[in-house]
Amino acid sequence: CSKYNKLLKSDDVDKKYAAALEYYENGKYERAGALLEDLMPLLKGRSEYERANFLYAYTKYHQQLYLESSFHFITFGQTFPRSQYAEEAAFMNAKSLTNESPSYNLDQQSTVQAMSALQEFMRRYPQSKYMQEANTIYEDLSKKIELKTFDNAKMYYQLRYFLSAVIALDNFRKNFPSSTLNEEAAFLRIDAQYHYAQQSIESKQAERYQQVIEIYQNFVDAYPNSKFLRSAENFYDSSRKALEQLNKTGQPAAATATTN
Amino acid sequence: QIRLGVGSSSAAASIDYANPRKYEIGGITVSGAKFLDPNTLISLTGLKIGDEIEVPGDAIGRAIQKLWDQGILGGVDVRATKIEGDKIYLDFFLTERPRLSRFEFSGVSKSNAEDIQEKISLNKGRVVTDALLNSTRTAVQKFYQEKGFLNAQVVIKQTPDSVIANSVALEIKVDKGEKVKIGDIEIAGNEAFSDRKLKKQLKKTKEKSFYKIFTSSKFQKSEYEQDKKLLIDFYNKEGYRDATIVSDSIYKINDDRIGIRLVVDEGNKYYFRNITWRGNYIYDDAVLNRVLGLEKGDVYNKEELDKRLNYDPTRGTDVTSLYMDDGYLFFQIEPVEVAVVGDSIDLELRISEGSQAKINAITIQGNTKTSDHVVLRELRTLPGQNFSRAMLIRSQRELATLGYFDPEKIGMNPIPNQENGTVDIQYTVEERPNDQITLSGGWGGGLGAVGTVGLVLNNFSLRKAGNWKEWRPVPSGDGQRLALNVQANGKRYQSYSLSFTEPWLGGRRPNAFTVSLSKSIQRFSQANDLGQLEDAHIDITGVSTSLGRRLRWPDDNFTLSNSLSYYRYNMSNGALIFPNYAEAANLKDANNISFITSFSRNSIDQPTYPRMGSSIGLTATFTPPYSLFKDNTNNFQWIEFHKWMFDASWFHSLSGNGKLVLNTRAHFGFIGSYSSKSNIGPFERFRLGGSGLGGGGFIVATDYIGLRGYEDESITPLGTPGGIAFNKYVAELRYPISLNPAATVFVLGFAEAGNNFGTYREYDPFKLYRSVGLGARVFMAAFGLLGFDYGWGLDDVPGRPGVNGGQFHFIIGQQIR
Repeated sequence: CSKYNKLLKSDDVDKKYAAALEYYENGKYERAGALLEDLMPLLKGRSEYERANFLYAYTKYHQQLYLESSFHFITFGQTFPRSQYAEEAAFMNAKSLTNESPSYNLDQQSTVQAMSALQEFMRRYPQSKYMQEANTIYEDLSKKIELKTFDNAKMYYQLRYFLSAVIALDNFRKNFPSSTLNEEAAFLRIDAQYHYAQQSIESKQAERYQQVIEIYQNFVDAYPNSKFLRSAENFYDSSRKALEQLNKTGQPAAATATTN
Repeated sequence: QIRLGVGSSSAAASIDYANPRKYEIGGITVSGAKFLDPNTLISLTGLKIGDEIEVPGDAIGRAIQKLWDQGILGGVDVRATKIEGDKIYLDFFLTERPRLSRFEFSGVSKSNAEDIQEKISLNKGRVVTDALLNSTRTAVQKFYQEKGFLNAQVVIKQTPDSVIANSVALEIKVDKGEKVKIGDIEIAGNEAFSDRKLKKQLKKTKEKSFYKIFTSSKFQKSEYEQDKKLLIDFYNKEGYRDATIVSDSIYKINDDRIGIRLVVDEGNKYYFRNITWRGNYIYDDAVLNRVLGLEKGDVYNKEELDKRLNYDPTRGTDVTSLYMDDGYLFFQIEPVEVAVVGDSIDLELRISEGSQAKINAITIQGNTKTSDHVVLRELRTLPGQNFSRAMLIRSQRELATLGYFDPEKIGMNPIPNQENGTVDIQYTVEERPNDQITLSGGWGGGLGAVGTVGLVLNNFSLRKAGNWKEWRPVPSGDGQRLALNVQANGKRYQSYSLSFTEPWLGGRRPNAFTVSLSKSIQRFSQANDLGQLEDAHIDITGVSTSLGRRLRWPDDNFTLSNSLSYYRYNMSNGALIFPNYAEAANLKDANNISFITSFSRNSIDQPTYPRMGSSIGLTATFTPPYSLFKDNTNNFQWIEFHKWMFDASWFHSLSGNGKLVLNTRAHFGFIGSYSSKSNIGPFERFRLGGSGLGGGGFIVATDYIGLRGYEDESITPLGTPGGIAFNKYVAELRYPISLNPAATVFVLGFAEAGNNFGTYREYDPFKLYRSVGLGARVFMAAFGLLGFDYGWGLDDVPGRPGVNGGQFHFIIGQQIR
C-alpha cells in the first residue's frame, strides 16, 4: 500500500507509467486508473499518450463504471481516430452502454444509446472481428425494447382499459412488425377489442364487434396454427352472436326513435 | 496564433487559393517542438501519409483544431515544404508555451479561494495563454462583484517556475475594495403610487438602512434589471398599460454607497370596454364570457387577462381549459386590442379551435429505479381518450404523491401528430431516494432509555428479492412498502414489527394488501403494599392482514379497508398489569382474533398544513361472539368484545389568503360485549388525558387518547383499568409561521372537551372536562411532526385533585385523535 501511495505522489513519469501498466496487468484496475489519471496531462504529447488513454478507458470498464468507460472510449475515438485501437474503442463504447442498459421495465435511454453506438460501429467497421458479437448484442437489446413496449401495452389490458390496450397493442404491431411477440399481441388485441365492444354503449357496439371480426380474420391469416386460435375463435363466435342480437333488437329501437 | 501558411520559396508549385486541389500526403513532419513527441503529435492531427486531402481545405483546419484542443501548444503553423506532382509534404511548426505549474491567491480569504477555484478553469499542466489569463481575471472579478465588491481589482503576476522546465507559476492578486451597498433609491415621476409602494416591488434591490437587519442591500446588476421589470409588471397589473421607466441612473455617493435614481412615466390607467369573440364554433359567447369573467369597466390588467385565457390554477377554470380538457390540443387564442379610446380598450379575442386530438402512445423516461407499470397505472391519460390538460395535470399530481420522484422535475410533454389527429405524451421523471432509516435513542414512555432501529423501504420489490443481482442496495421499483422496526430498552421493553404492503394487489385495481407481524415484550416490577417488589410481564405476538380499497362510490375520496388480526397475549401477574380489574389476576394466556373494518373519506388538500377538506372515518372491530356458544365466558382464553371508533375532522380557512385555518374535530369510541351476561375485559380500553402518548405506565393493548390541560391518563374512570366509552370535541385555530416544505411551522390555539366512562349507565355526551390552551407544531421531513402545547384544564376531576390546571404536553407524530 505504501508503495502505491509513494507512486501516487511521485513525480517520475516513466516509473509511474510502468507501475500503472503493471497494476493493469495484475487486474488492479482501480490503482492503474488512478495512476493513469494522474499521468494523463503529463503524457500529453508523448508517445505513450495514446495507449495510456486507451487503457484508462479500460480500467473504468473493468471497474464496471460503464458510463465513464463509455465516455472515455468515445473521447479516445475522437482524439485518435486513426489509432490501431480505434475499432476496439468504438466496440467497447457500445459494450459499455450495453452493460449500463437496465432491466426492460425501467428507462431504456442507455439501451437506445447502445443500439445507436452499435449501429455506428457496424457502419464504420463492417469487416470487424467483433461483428458477430455486435450483432448478437444488438438483437438482445432490440428484444428488450420490444418486450417493454409489449408489456406496457399488456398492462392496459390487465387494468381493464380495453380501448387503451387495443391502441397500444396496435402501436406495438406497427413498431415491431417482425417481433416474435406479435402472435400474442394480435390475440390480446382480439380479446381487448371484444371486451371494449361489450362495454360500449349500444349505438357503438355493432361497429366495434365488427372490428373484432376483422382483427380475427387478419389473425387467422397470419397465424393459421396459433396456439391462441381456439380462444380467438370464441371471441369471434361471441361477436358474431352479439351482432346477430344487435340486428334483431336494432329494428324496434330505431322504430321507437322515430315515433318520439 | 493559428496560421496556415503554404509556400516556402523552394516549393515547385505554388498553391492557388481560388482553386482547391486534391493532393496525397507524401510526408508529415513536426518542427519547433522541444518537449513533445513528434509521432504522437502527428497521430493527434488525424492525418496519415497516403491520405488524400484538399488544399486549401477542411482537413488541415481540423488537424490544427485537434492539436489546439489539447491545450498544450501556444501556436500551430502549417506549411507545405514540398509539392511533387500530386504529393504534398506538410510541416507542422509548433510553438510551445509555458505550462502552469501552480497558482496561488493573495488578498483572498481561504474559503473564498476555494469557491473561486470552482469557477475558474486553471488546471495545473495547462498551457498559459492570454485568453486563459483574461478569463481567469474576469471570473475572479465577477465573483467579487456578485458579493457586492463592485470595485474589486484583479492582477495576475507570472513568474517562471525553477523546478519544472518550461513552466510558470501564477499569483492572482485581488484587491477587493469596499463592499458597495445601495444607499438611496429615488423614484421620480410617480403620481398614482407612493415611493414606498414602488420600492416594495423591487424584490432584490433594497436601500441600506439601520433597521433592515435581514435585508440584503447589495447591488447586483442582473437582479436590478429583473427588478425594473417587476416594477413595470406592477404598473401593468394596475391598469397602467403604458408605464415605462424613462431613465435610470446609478451614481456614486461615496466609496461604499451607491444611489439609484429611477424616473417613471406612468401613462394612463386603462379599463376594458367591449370584449368580443371570434372563431368560436363550439362554445357560444355567453359561455366564454362566463368563463372569462371580465366585465366592461374592469381595470385593464394584461396579466390577469392572460391568466384567464391561458392557465388559471387559482380559479380552476380558464378559456383554454374549456377546450384543452376536451381534446382540443391545437386550440389557440389571441387577444387583440381593436380600439383604444381615451382610457377604454376594446378587445377582440380571436380563437382557433382546431380539431380534437386523441391520445396515442404514453411513454416514461427517467425511471431508473421504478418499474414502468408502477408509473403507468397511476396516470390519468390513457391511449384512446381525448387529450385533456386537466388529466395531464392530475397525472402529474398522482406521480408526485407516489413520493418516488422529485415533484419539481416531473415533466409532461405532449407530442402532437397533426396528420392523424393524435398526440403522444411523454412523461419525464427523476428518481429521488425515499427510503428511511431511523436510528434513535430517547427517553420516553416511562421506560427510561429506549433505542429504536427502523427501516422503511417505500419502493420495495418482493419479486426482485430472489435475484441477488437486483439488490442495489435493496430490491426496489415495484412500489411495495416494507417496514421493519425494532425498539428496546434492555429487558423491560422490546418490540419488533415487520410489515409489507402491496398497493395494487393483483395488478388490476389499487387494492392495498398489507401483512404485518409484531411482537412485544414488557416487564414490570412494582412495590406492593408490603414494600416487596412484584414482577409481571406481558408478551404480545400478533399477525394481521388487511385489504384496503379506494372506492368509486359515493365518490372517489372514499376508502374501505378490512383486516383480520390475531394477537396472543402471554402474561404473568395480570393484576399488576391491569390494576383495578378484579379478575385480571387469573389472566395467563389470552387470544384475540378480531376483524376490523374501516370506512373513511378523506378530502384533505395536503397533509402537512391542511387548509380545507375533511376526513371522516368509522372503524369497527369485532371478535367472534364466543359467549353466545359457551357459558364459561370470562376466563379470557378467547377475548371477546366489539369496539367502535368514529373520528371526524374538518378544515376551513378563515382568512382571504387561506392562512388562518379552523380545525374542528369530534371523536367517539365505544367497547361492548355480545351478551348481557358477560363482562367487558381489560383489553383495548380507553385512557384519556394529556398528550395521548401513554405516559407513565405505558401498556400495549390499551387505547391512549389525548386531552390537553389534564395529566396523562387522568380522565380514566376510578377503579377501572380504562373506560369503555369516550367522547372528545376539539376546536383548533392554526396559523402558519413557515410553509417551507422542508420545515413547516405553525402555531395554534385550542379549546377542547372530553370524557371517559366506565359503564354505559354513566355515559353522557355532554358531561365533559373542558380545557383551553396554546401550542406550536414543527413538521420536518426527516423527523415528522413535533410540537408542544400548554393547556389549562378548567374542570376539577373528582378523586384526582391537581390533575387539571396548567399542563405542558409534548407531541410526537401526527395524532388522529
